[in-house]
Amino acid sequence: MNLEWKGQEHIAADKATTWSFINDPALISQCLPDLLEAKIHTAHAFDAIVQVSLGPVRGKFKFKIVLGPQPGDSDMHLTISGGGLGSVVDLHASAHILDNGDGTTILDWTGKASLRGPIATVGGRVVDVQAQRVISTTFGNVKTHLAGAASATV
Amino acid sequence: MAMTTDPPVQERHAIGQSLKRKEDPRFIRGAGRYVDDIVLPGMLYMALVHSPYPHARINGIDKTAALAMPGVKAVITGEDLVNAGLGWIPTFHGYDKQMVLAVGKAVYQYQEVAGVIATSREAALDAAEVVDVDYEPLEVIADPFVSMRDTLIIRDDRENKTNHIYHWEVGDRDKTDAALAASEVQIDERIEFQRVHPAPLEPCGIVADMSGGTGRLTMYLTSQAPHAHRTVVSMVTGIPEDKIRIVSPDIGGGFGNKVPVYPGYVVATAASVILGVPVKWIETRTENLTCSGFARDYHMRVQIGATAAGNITALKVTTVADHGAFDAVADPSKYPAGLFGIVTGSYDFPTAFTELDAYFTNKAPGGVAYRCSFRVTEASYAIERGMDMLAQRLGMDAAEFRLLNFVKKVQFPYPSPLGFVYDSGDYHLTLRNALDKIGYKELRAEQAEKRARGEYMGIGISTFTEAVGAGPSKLFDIMGIKMFDSAEIRIHPTGSGIVRTGARHQGQGHETTWAQIVAEELGLDPQNILVEEGDTDTAPYGLGTYASRSTPVAGGAIALAARKVREKAKKIAAHVLEASEDDIEWEDYKFKVTGVPGKSITMKEVAFAAYTNPTPGSEPGLEATFYYDPPNMTFPHGAYIAVVDVDAETGYTKVRRFLAIDDCGTIINPMIVEGQIHGGLTEGFAIAFMQEIRFDAAGNNLNTNFTEYLIPTSLETPHWETDKTVTPSPHHPIGAKGVGESPNVGSPAAFVNAVVDALAPLGVKHIEMPLTRAKVWHAIKDARAAASAPLAQNGATHA
Repeated sequence: MNLEWKGQEHIAADKATTWSFINDPALISQCLPDLLEAKIHTAHAFDAIVQVSLGPVRGKFKFKIVLGPQPGDSDMHLTISGGGLGSVVDLHASAHILDNGDGTTILDWTGKASLRGPIATVGGRVVDVQAQRVISTTFGNVKTHLAGAASATV
Repeated sequence: MAMTTDPPVQERHAIGQSLKRKEDPRFIRGAGRYVDDIVLPGMLYMALVHSPYPHARINGIDKTAALAMPGVKAVITGEDLVNAGLGWIPTFHGYDKQMVLAVGKAVYQYQEVAGVIATSREAALDAAEVVDVDYEPLEVIADPFVSMRDTLIIRDDRENKTNHIYHWEVGDRDKTDAALAASEVQIDERIEFQRVHPAPLEPCGIVADMSGGTGRLTMYLTSQAPHAHRTVVSMVTGIPEDKIRIVSPDIGGGFGNKVPVYPGYVVATAASVILGVPVKWIETRTENLTCSGFARDYHMRVQIGATAAGNITALKVTTVADHGAFDAVADPSKYPAGLFGIVTGSYDFPTAFTELDAYFTNKAPGGVAYRCSFRVTEASYAIERGMDMLAQRLGMDAAEFRLLNFVKKVQFPYPSPLGFVYDSGDYHLTLRNALDKIGYKELRAEQAEKRARGEYMGIGISTFTEAVGAGPSKLFDIMGIKMFDSAEIRIHPTGSGIVRTGARHQGQGHETTWAQIVAEELGLDPQNILVEEGDTDTAPYGLGTYASRSTPVAGGAIALAARKVREKAKKIAAHVLEASEDDIEWEDYKFKVTGVPGKSITMKEVAFAAYTNPTPGSEPGLEATFYYDPPNMTFPHGAYIAVVDVDAETGYTKVRRFLAIDDCGTIINPMIVEGQIHGGLTEGFAIAFMQEIRFDAAGNNLNTNFTEYLIPTSLETPHWETDKTVTPSPHHPIGAKGVGESPNVGSPAAFVNAVVDALAPLGVKHIEMPLTRAKVWHAIKDARAAASAPLAQNGATHA
């Protein structure tokens, strides 16, 4: 099963702060919902164990997450691969950061996921609802962290 | 009320009686003993690792983390098995081989990749989660019509670099093509039989026991064919057959699913050999639905020709078969497409031709006979749908069209144009009885009234003929083993006895039915005849229970073994009665001296004499063994009629009535036959309306559990009306034909014919199974759109 998402987020922090934040596995990992454990391996790679609850598919999923900052400090590629309970999730995402010039940034993002195994049988609408929740929660956490960081800077 | 084509027979002693099933007291008390009930000292448990990818190269398997888990004793991979000479095993008919565990690459989703053996099932499952397999995903082909292009070779281990497995054909192609071309009316339609799964409530499992230092392997196995499995295990492992004992204990349904040898059996056995302790593996529901033998997946093109008056002239069926990643179909060696040649059904075609091409895809292998005699269900569905389509094209009533074209009673034994010789039948009687019993004329009148009111009521008929009871050994074998069957009968001194056969029941009621055959032949009490099956150490060799072959083959062996006992008993009777054997006759279930009224002896008395007063110069005791090689298959038939109401706004179909009149020849136990028919109809109903193993384009299996693959409950299941005609098989020792599969074979077409009949006024010609509400609703919507579109175009044109 293949799913695609895209969206735009308004971040209340300047481009440099935002860029720095999304390059930091320690900070990014803490924004993931239902995170049970994160293990940082390198400056741009970490493992995350998360609790998944998708219909009958319930349990711990283990993901390898690799950040891929692109030259120019405006584009980030992200791969998430892993799974659990016989399911596999491969997600490729990318984000483009646009400086609004007023101390805020726009983050345009896209994501494509390929699902295999039991998770693929749950049904696209169920997966999509959960994916939207994960995405919105993650970005909500990112915004909260960055807003806090920005206000602290001010 | 039974209807018969033959003169009534005298009241029988045991056959024809609805004895309550002798096996049921233990089942209804929860005292059955299934494979998962077996617990042996020191036993370990196995869980399997499965590939989440439908097609992927395996670059490595790291066992380290799994081996470090608590309780884990071993992790076995495909490479380990290759090193032990067990990497690959032959498939059912021996034409292909299949990986036990994936070696080099996985070729279908959920393919077995490794086995983890631990001190508990939970520990094994937890450790299986952490076996680290390095997969490299490959392009996937999940569609046989893509596979046939050979743009990607799925089985690069094979010498022939093609996805095409085989071509099979039978009949007269040229004559059939010519007859079709000359036909005044013909249909040319695509009909699919979707991939379904037998889904027995008890999944597959094994306890493999190589412990004890005896050098003997005991396998407690969910096996429909214990002796065949023993021979295969011996051939694959090199273990002498006398060192292998297979015990098939109580089995919670098989439906063909427990015929093949599965990787889990082999890995658990290898683990027991390596570790020297018993190892148990019980499938999960998902493993059963995703890895073990599926059924059907035939994509058929059906062409039938007829005269304008409705006389059929020719039949041609062209099939593409999806076999998944290995050619593991459960068909006899000489019949790669099973008995699909029965596709001419109950009809007298002057000529016919059928051909089939099979292809590999990245889907689970299988092709078992799901409550069906080797592809007979696919054939029956094709012809019964095709006949309805042609009747619709001709504007003829579906029943009248069938009556016009049936093989007539006087034509039996009937040589079909595709090579079978039907043993007996009276198709006209069976259908006419069905039409009378259901009130066909009245239903058609009601339908006309409802159509006038815009309501959608349908009547569907299916008048199938099966070919079961494989089989004559000159034609049928599995990996060279001829498909006869056997029985051994021992009568004890006090007149009770034991019968053992090479069959293995999975709920069919053999413990009662076989006792009735012996009791009938010998005049004994069926309650005192013990039936024992499933232990290869004690039962005579046989090919097992599937394809409705138990009564036609093992049942024949039992009757003939009993007659051997009776022949010996006759000598003893002559000795006891002090008469010449020539003067002894078997009458009213006693031995009598001809012409001497009152001088007789019962079989029970003869049995006692066999041990206490044996005939001088003769062998004491009273027992016999018979290996029965049937001269032909048997050909049960039936007439099924479904009545449905379809809600055009929601697509909901209510099966208002369903009548099944079956003719399975002599009936041994009417209650058991009725139970078989109820079960088979319920499965046929599920196939028609609910069940399909679907795959997305990426090869994901979308029906991996009972929330996605539905089993009907009592709430959905219609009320079944049943009746019978009795046309005994002329060649079977007791005239029986077998019935277990008839309802599954015959009913899907009746359901679909009824729904299409209901929607015919809208222009609906066909809907592929399963007829879910959504699919029926879409068919109605599309038909309405198609009906309005030409009007708009015509209007535009004329404007």
